[in-house]
Amino acid sequence: MAKSRSIQENNVKTGKVTYFQAVWQVGALLALSILLALSINQLRSDRLPLMGDWSIKARLTNPHGDRLDISFENAKKLFMEKSALFIDARSMDEYVKGHIPAARSLSWHDVDRRFIEVTEDISPDTLIITYCDGTTCELSCDLALFLLDMGFNNVRVLLDGWTEWTKGHLPVEKENAVS
Amino acid sequence: MLTLSARFILGAVFVYASFDKILHPAAFAEAVYNYQILPDELINLTAIALPCLELVLGIFLIINFWMPGTVLMCNLLLTTFIGALLFNMARGLNINCGCFSTTAVESSMNVLTVLRDTSFLAISGYLLYAIFFYKK
Repeated sequence: MAKSRSIQENNVKTGKVTYFQAVWQVGALLALSILLALSINQLRSDRLPLMGDWSIKARLTNPHGDRLDISFENAKKLFMEKSALFIDARSMDEYVKGHIPAARSLSWHDVDRRFIEVTEDISPDTLIITYCDGTTCELSCDLALFLLDMGFNNVRVLLDGWTEWTKGHLPVEKENAVS
Repeated sequence: MLTLSARFILGAVFVYASFDKILHPAAFAEAVYNYQILPDELINLTAIALPCLELVLGIFLIINFWMPGTVLMCNLLLTTFIGALLFNMARGLNINCGCFSTTAVESSMNVLTVLRDTSFLAISGYLLYAIFFYKK
């Protein structure tokens, strides 16, 4: 093991040994890092489970066991009964092309700018259902969590909302009917 | 000396990059998950091990220890990061980079991130050359 030799001197002295060194050292580095990481993880109070549950279900279940998402059937029922307020988390362009009737547009990417104007007249206990597109629930989940943080008590997510809605041939509104 | 400064700069970058991620493993795991590249089963292990690897590499670079392996690993790691960034930028995923911190606001992926990592890779590549190919 070189003590204070420069890299070049080391290279000249050891020559071809360097390639073999590189290989075993990479293995040793990985082993060392994993060992170190696991030890640190074990010792900390906020340790991460080695096998995390990253399914949608787990990510959408809060510590009390309640789920953030709502089934499509329930959402449809609430829509028919007009007892929920739908909020579209997608971009304004997509909202204008088509959205759930009476839904408001609050694009997640614009949330800081538009949050107040879009939600100032909504009472905190209103049942709000956010939706976007895609099964990985990015925009709608982020928006729902944000709304919950902001004091709305009753927020749910309709997973893969737009796809499910159009697949079910449910009514669709275009243009900026309600912003 | 060029190799000395390269080692110190790159080492410092790796050590610095590892701090926030070691301090907030859950948030970093979220960032790793959002890349949508690794299978779910590997997310937490990666979130725990990767920052430690960065820390170890950074320290070893600075103290000139196990240089062939350290420098090779740095190159592999940076290439992988750049690859992951480019891949996700290409498929339009706009997520938290998770490079230096776990807070979403500060580090979204964009061209600047790729350029920054490429400059690190350049330093790392230079060290690779110095170790393996430089002949007096």
